[in-house]
Amino acid sequence: MRVPSLVAGVLLLGASLTSPLSGQSGRIAYEAFTLPNGLRVLYSEDHSTPIVSVDVWYNTGSRNERPGRSGFAHLFEHMMFEGSAHVKKGEHFQLISRAGGSENGSTAEDRTNYYETVPSNRLNLALWLEADRMRSLAITEENFHNQRETVKEERRLRIDNQPYSPAFIDGMTWPFDSSACFAYAHTVIGSMQDLDAAQLSDVKAFFDTYYAPNNATLVVVGDVRPLELRRFVNQYFSDIPRHPDPPAVSCTSSLSPGIQRREVTDVHANLPAVLRIYRVPSHADPDTPPIELLNIILGQGESSRLNVAVVRREQAALGTQVAMNPFDSRRGPGVLLALAIANQGVDALRLDTLLAAQLDTVRATGVTAEELTKAKNTFRAGFIHNRETTLGKSEELHHYDTFHPSVSEMNTDLERYLAVTADDIRRVAVKYLDPANAVVVIVKPAAGGAAQ
Amino acid sequence: VRAGGREGGRAVSLAAAAVLAALPPYRLSAQGFPSTPPKPTRLSPVRFPPFKEATLPNGLQLVVIEHHEQPVVSVTLSFRAGAICDPPGKEGLSSLVSELLSKGTDNRSAEQIASTIEGVGGTLAASSGADFLAISGDALSDQAGLVFDLLGDVTLHATFPETELELARTRALSGLALQLSQPGAVAQRFFGSEIYGRNPYGKSPTRESYRAITHDDVTQFARQRLRPAAALLVVAGDVTEAQVRELVDKAFPGWRGAPPAGPTLPAPPVRFAPDIVLVHRPGSAQANLVAGNTTTLPTDPVYYPGRVVTQVLGGGADSRLFRILREQKGWTYGAYASLHRYRGIGYWQATAEVRTEVADSALRELLHQVELIRTQTVADSELGAAKGFLVGSFPLTIETPSQIAGQVANVKLLGLGDDYLRLYRERLSAVTASQARAAAVRLYRPKALTIVVVGDGAKLADRLKTIAPIRLVDVDGKPLTPADLNPPTAPVAFDPAQFAPHTDSSRVMIQGNPAGFTVSEIRRPSPDSLLYLERSNLGNGAFQQQTTVVLDAATGSVRQVDQVTVQQGQKVETHLTYGGGRVKGTSAAPQADGTVKRLDIDTALPARTVDENAVPLLVPALPLAPGSTFALTSFTPSENVVKVLTFKVGSPESVVVPAGTFQAYRIDVTGSRVPFTMYVSTETPRRILKTEFVGQPFVVELVK
Repeated sequence: MRVPSLVAGVLLLGASLTSPLSGQSGRIAYEAFTLPNGLRVLYSEDHSTPIVSVDVWYNTGSRNERPGRSGFAHLFEHMMFEGSAHVKKGEHFQLISRAGGSENGSTAEDRTNYYETVPSNRLNLALWLEADRMRSLAITEENFHNQRETVKEERRLRIDNQPYSPAFIDGMTWPFDSSACFAYAHTVIGSMQDLDAAQLSDVKAFFDTYYAPNNATLVVVGDVRPLELRRFVNQYFSDIPRHPDPPAVSCTSSLSPGIQRREVTDVHANLPAVLRIYRVPSHADPDTPPIELLNIILGQGESSRLNVAVVRREQAALGTQVAMNPFDSRRGPGVLLALAIANQGVDALRLDTLLAAQLDTVRATGVTAEELTKAKNTFRAGFIHNRETTLGKSEELHHYDTFHPSVSEMNTDLERYLAVTADDIRRVAVKYLDPANAVVVIVKPAAGGAAQ
Repeated sequence: VRAGGREGGRAVSLAAAAVLAALPPYRLSAQGFPSTPPKPTRLSPVRFPPFKEATLPNGLQLVVIEHHEQPVVSVTLSFRAGAICDPPGKEGLSSLVSELLSKGTDNRSAEQIASTIEGVGGTLAASSGADFLAISGDALSDQAGLVFDLLGDVTLHATFPETELELARTRALSGLALQLSQPGAVAQRFFGSEIYGRNPYGKSPTRESYRAITHDDVTQFARQRLRPAAALLVVAGDVTEAQVRELVDKAFPGWRGAPPAGPTLPAPPVRFAPDIVLVHRPGSAQANLVAGNTTTLPTDPVYYPGRVVTQVLGGGADSRLFRILREQKGWTYGAYASLHRYRGIGYWQATAEVRTEVADSALRELLHQVELIRTQTVADSELGAAKGFLVGSFPLTIETPSQIAGQVANVKLLGLGDDYLRLYRERLSAVTASQARAAAVRLYRPKALTIVVVGDGAKLADRLKTIAPIRLVDVDGKPLTPADLNPPTAPVAFDPAQFAPHTDSSRVMIQGNPAGFTVSEIRRPSPDSLLYLERSNLGNGAFQQQTTVVLDAATGSVRQVDQVTVQQGQKVETHLTYGGGRVKGTSAAPQADGTVKRLDIDTALPARTVDENAVPLLVPALPLAPGSTFALTSFTPSENVVKVLTFKVGSPESVVVPAGTFQAYRIDVTGSRVPFTMYVSTETPRRILKTEFVGQPFVVELVK
């Protein structure tokens, strides 16, 4: 019974390894134009379903914050749902809901996004709502205090109150030096002190500087007719005044300045954990594709290196997680993180040794052809699934427009990933997984939380 | 992989761009920025992708939906093998079968299955609902062969390894324990069984039913019920019908047979007057309300006006129940109404989670709103908003092949008719206010309503009985009398023999690994006083606590409590004196965020209130007997609140701990922040052998 099936399995595996991988999948056609006030517009027609996504990216995020005022970009994102000149508080949600649509927003280091997906006959509504808040956000003392408390509560709930979360969120910033690169040396959510210190005048100044048409890109994807789109965009957005360009952000950071070790206590954790954080280059760097495939090989899925070696074989960890720039890509340097939560009775330092040994093995001996093919398959599937929905396509357009030299790379980028070789992976592993490039964080539980 | 469609699209849009370029670039429109939201433009038709249907010679119904926009494929194979097929007493079987299908076949181990599908960036999963068991997979279309191969393998050759069954059973049991600790889930279990009676749609798995499921049950269920006749295979994405037929032939060679007939579905019970099932959950901070009744078969055209009127009543944050109960009255965290379809008779329900003190007002208002919508025609603006949401959101649910496959499968499985999806929006749009009201009259039957309330019966019973007659039960469904709600907290005579001096050492285990210890000791410093000492140490000293309780030896009443806690090197102290119907002193408790909560305490106490810290001493001294229930009024110093803890005693069972094997009473304790279960040995002096906390990964076990 066993033997023939094993043979069948091997044959099957061989078949999937040799199947041709196409780089032509998931192409998206698009057009672009810019209003005189600087608002850049990208759109892509897709009439298969009568819906449309409207997605605005403001070219700002936590990277634009200054020392003492961290958490502002995110606080601002909350303010954007509190009403504007012609939209009452709560009405944005209500109008979109009554149209059958969905909407949300999010903040990362390098960008803040706001989006709606609506039936295509309500494209005008979604654009009108975005235009109204871009031109006339209601920045009132009441909204500000209210949202500052909401954000502080969000920090308590989603970060301070979750095991390993503070170490993960703060750890991401530790590879960077506050004086040389404040942009990435502080968290997106910000500190409680800075949030408390925020003044209404700061919020107004932030809006004036960053929430201007010349600092935003509007993407529209779906069942949209170009003439109609231009008409709505002109009517709603073209008389919003241009603002002076925001100041440039500087970040200097060097690779492998020497290993940094930290130990933190986590009151919500029952078990110790190890977090290794490595500096990686800007998203536009040619090393990004092999690093992303390395990330998949190390940490994505049951059959990933760390899961097989550290969780299953050594039984040293309950689980592992590997992530690259968890919020979004970056124009500046980024991070690759490997987290492992220890099994009971496993010493954190032993776990760290096992984790480091796995990373060193990749540096010393590289990855197998099978691992590389699986990583490419995984990447390619994700790449295509990202483009299945109008909102997914909108985010892809923004991603390429923001983080790549040209948005046109969205239709050629997959080829760069499929061309990565095992040698490339080993080369980037040697370069970036260098112990001198690591910040190692040992998380110790403050037991007692568990006893109640 | 096709990209042709996109290329064509690009050519068209380039032409459009050329036209646009010829226009003056930025004509500001004559009208400025509108001050009110723009009106909808013309609605585009939904072009639902055409699908091809066939019934294969083995009876398998095949639906292929060609959708070539992206090179992806989504496959769903559904069987009439959902939870209603579980044999009586084996509820949960279908769900275990679905979980085990991908845990090993004649050809692949569980790990090989996972790594094979992962290796191509795809997914494979199975799940069980009330009517159907479905296995689904998706991948890029050039891996369609692999997805079918795995689908065939798990359907035809699953081996259901014993070890995997035990793991699945353990997961199911802890999932159930967690569910039973959540009042919303408890309410749904009671509501289902009340409205359906003996009809299998009303049944839910229990600890006993999960434990009763054998390996034979699992293999037999799969062998008998996962058969092609009456099964439905929906394939959507970048594939052709010919390709799919070839893949099916290859993946399911020689597959034939029909499943046994489904279970009989007796008519749900008929009710002539509403009543309230009050599920007593002592200490519950809020009440969970569910009201509703069974409705119609899924094909009944009343669905369309029914869907619209249910949206008006409680479809979301923009609906009546939410607006009134939450936003106007502030009684609730959320209040909703929904309509549910099965292959058989469906149901509707309204739900709300409310503060205990306003449970009666909230229920009255909820019933009033049901009555209003049956008797008064809905205003056009409100009807328009509800239809706007339903009609508008529909196309958002058919964007991807897997979403389309899901919608088509639903239509086929429920027998909704081939034009259902095509006409769905039109049929909803056409609903008039009078049709909506007629649907409300037909679907919501106030005289036949079943109302379930889960909460603290002692606080709720009097409030609710003026609304409708009450049937009082405990969380396990056992009938209670009003006397059970306030079990005598006094005349409990503690058994002095249990206070004999002795020392117990226990260990604290987290997920099977040692995390610390706790030692408790009973001393008799003088004939009339009793001293209870407890020392705990967790995480190698990260948390240390020493508690001293002084009690009156004759009555077991607490006189004094002193407690020192050291957490992360930070030392805090609690000192309390009981007497004259009050507790006075100071309490300090380290909080999860590293801060310390300090309270000055001077609180009046009900008679015979004990300190929470004395509970481990006092419980073994209760007159324990199988089936008995006790209540103790207890004071929690860290919160400065009085709670009523309820102790339900089970029949003696054999319990193994490091200290040995003992006969022990299982005692379920509710009313505390986290419900817990204690096992207390039956021999004098009784000792606490084991303590488990519901939904928590740790357990305390007696070592010596």
